Amino acid sequence: MLLSELTQKLGGTIVVDKPEAIIRSAYTSDLLSDVMGHCGDESALITIQNHLNTIAVCTLAGIEAIVICHNRPIPEDMKVAAEREGVAIVTTPLSQFAASVALGELEASVR
Amino acid sequence: MKFDLHIHSCLSPCASLEMSPAAIVDAAKAAGMDGIALTDHQSARNAPAIAVCARQAGLGCLFGLEVQTAEEVHTVALFDTVEVALELTDWVYAALPRRKNDPDTFGDQPVVTWDDEIVEMEEKLLAAGCARSIPEVAEFVHARGGLYIAAHVDRPNFSVLGSLGAIPEPFEADTRYFDAIELSRTVHASEWLPKIGDYAVVRSSDAHHLCDVSRVWTEADGTFSIAGLKDIFARKATRLSERITCFSAN
Repeated sequence: MLLSELTQKLGGTIVVDKPEAIIRSAYTSDLLSDVMGHCGDESALITIQNHLNTIAVCTLAGIEAIVICHNRPIPEDMKVAAEREGVAIVTTPLSQFAASVALGELEASVR
Repeated sequence: MKFDLHIHSCLSPCASLEMSPAAIVDAAKAAGMDGIALTDHQSARNAPAIAVCARQAGLGCLFGLEVQTAEEVHTVALFDTVEVALELTDWVYAALPRRKNDPDTFGDQPVVTWDDEIVEMEEKLLAAGCARSIPEVAEFVHARGGLYIAAHVDRPNFSVLGSLGAIPEPFEADTRYFDAIELSRTVHASEWLPKIGDYAVVRSSDAHHLCDVSRVWTEADGTFSIAGLKDIFARKATRLSERITCFSAN
């Protein structure tokens, strides 16, 4: 799935773009230790963890895109790091559950 | 006396490399502090260095860690001695992920001497949470006579209120996990005190850059030591500095 399609399904907004990203799976979690332990690559992370450290974890795990739920604001340092590291950020008004349902055709990401 | 109980050194991956123990002590002295605490993420390995600097400068200093617990809550553990802070460090290290730090992703983690020579680069992943829960860390800290403070509870991420929604308390009514609650630099205390209940409150700089060291602080009458702070916290006799609206970054 391309980022544009993912964003459309979420009724979301692209904050940091990555047009070349191909997203095959997704994982939903707000605990970064859990994300690090279980989320695989070529994936989207559905979360409310709008923090700089989320970008670092995505870089380690090979996560292509972060979906920030409830339209939580993206801190400037998080945005800058995402641009630098090549991680896409999409915000959506949906909850984590509703966002997961909207992206239900993706595989469940596993590490 | 004025004190700042939450300061990071260059060992913290997200802190500036200018945060040498000597520079921190100088900055805290210049800001009028009587006492500080060094609280790097998940580690007290720069505590031996700042102990030397603080002693030379005649500045009170406590030694501790900012423990990121299994709940992904940031908490500050403080001790009178470097040795106990390092004991907690070993116990936290044993519960960190096996993955090594990637300096390009998270930042450098130099362990330094008092005169700012690099001893080694810490390889543990200090940016990660450890598999020790708040109750477990509280028990470890209190069993060794330390103080346990919930860090920056006003922040939405990595705080006890942000991650757990409330300040957790044990079933036994006469004990508590936290000895005090920390507010960060930018918030109005009056907005947050009602959410904190009858805990003692401190305001700390949580400085990651030299320009932020002790720009906010806590004031109280008493002695700068664990015993002195325990007494102050029991009396809830702290006064907080004004908030600041502008700071560099975390």
